[in-house]
Amino acid sequence: MPPAIELRDVWKQFIIRHNRADSLKERFIGLFNRRYQEHHEILWALRGITLAVEPGEALGLIGPNGSGKSTLLRLIARTLYPTKGEVIVRGRVAPMIEIGVGFHHELTGQENIYLNASLYGLTRREVDRIYSKIVEFSELEEFIDVPVKNYSTGMYARLGFSIAVHLDPDILLIDEVLAVGDERFQRKCLERMMDFRRRGKTIVFVSHSAAAVKQLCDRACLLSQGTLVAFGEVASVLEAYEAQIAV
Amino acid sequence: MIYMNAAESHLALLQYRELLKNLVIKDLKVKYRNSFLGFLWSLLNPLMMIIVYSVALKYILRVQVENFPLFLIIGILPWNLFSGTAIASTEAIINNANLIKKICFPREILPIATVLFHLAQFVLALVVFFPALFFLGAPWTPAIAAYPFVLLLQAVFTLGVALFLAAVTVSYRDVKYLTEVALMMLFWMTPVIYHLSMVPERVRWLFELNPMTAYITAYHEMLYWGRWPSAQMLLLGGIWAGLALGLGSWVFRRRQRFFAEDL
Repeated sequence: MPPAIELRDVWKQFIIRHNRADSLKERFIGLFNRRYQEHHEILWALRGITLAVEPGEALGLIGPNGSGKSTLLRLIARTLYPTKGEVIVRGRVAPMIEIGVGFHHELTGQENIYLNASLYGLTRREVDRIYSKIVEFSELEEFIDVPVKNYSTGMYARLGFSIAVHLDPDILLIDEVLAVGDERFQRKCLERMMDFRRRGKTIVFVSHSAAAVKQLCDRACLLSQGTLVAFGEVASVLEAYEAQIAV
Repeated sequence: MIYMNAAESHLALLQYRELLKNLVIKDLKVKYRNSFLGFLWSLLNPLMMIIVYSVALKYILRVQVENFPLFLIIGILPWNLFSGTAIASTEAIINNANLIKKICFPREILPIATVLFHLAQFVLALVVFFPALFFLGAPWTPAIAAYPFVLLLQAVFTLGVALFLAAVTVSYRDVKYLTEVALMMLFWMTPVIYHLSMVPERVRWLFELNPMTAYITAYHEMLYWGRWPSAQMLLLGGIWAGLALGLGSWVFRRRQRFFAEDL
């Protein structure tokens, strides 16, 4: 089987625009007055990343802040495009990069489930099939007709998480969202992810927590300043990470 | 099977029609929920506009147009549809920065939803205003059958404009203000409150080149004069619609890759 995710020599450049001219007015003034001109600084967030994630594998992405983990995840989620190189993703992706994105405050939980699932490309019929499971998992049966603006932060997160895990994706991208809800709900989420693994789904997991990576992942890769420093077995990559931090 | 990039493929637009429907329904719900009179309020604005313009133009400025209120309603409602959509479309992308940054879906859906939302409101208002037209003496002729077709041409033109404005506002936030100014200029260059024949012949060609002139004139032909819209206006309207959609989607497609970074 071909890899679920393949990155071939991926480079990602961000242009940091100092003194950003984000209006035509400023652009115009900049023509005459150097003080108002935009200065560009080029930042390579990823420098030549090549890696493959096999179907059914759980890959942990670790690295210090600014190492390019989130950029990598967003490239796989297809919200960013590589400057150079190729990103190939085989299967439906559910990004859990942030929970509750796209909820509308005035709409009820039920209406938000339908709206949110359609953001991920599901049809009404597909949502009908998973609707009751989403509600049950979120434990929000009593509040499902209430506008989400009246939800607590925990309820909000539970609803978002429940939708994400029921999209039945082939590939799940997780960016430290395990920290939602109370401890009991967190356990439930972790169980759900283990269940994902058992069913042969692919997971890419970004975390600072060595323990969480150890528990969930088969392999890990360590990023540093946009390059792949270590890639392989979790234990050895974590060792490299700890060594790096210690320096 | 390699999944297509949902943000870029034309086919993906079809797959995401559910999202489009949900976005339009969401906007309608949010607007009209919790206010039983919500729909009536949305009629109040055009109604006041019609009254004020009728009084000011007919009795103070003494515009020489027979049955002026009828003439005015026919043109000003579609004009408001266009200008309202154009202004709203400047915010279609920037107001959804969070979605764009976090979820991959065809970005065109957002401006398309803006256009459809305004179109839906227009059609709702039409249910009330159409009977009023005939009450005011609009001729009841088969030419009315062409109304949906002209409206469709106008909607396609508007969509092209909306795609363009939505995309460029991401880079330049003051496009909204420029749009407002441009719309005001365009309004006075469109025969909404006067006949095209009142414009001095020397500059009339300029007014005829205005895309909105084609649509507004066609509405007048059908509902005010009671005849089929002229082939010339339909052709012009069609050409403008095609050009706008072509240019709008070209600009949008070139820019959309960078939306997530620029927002």
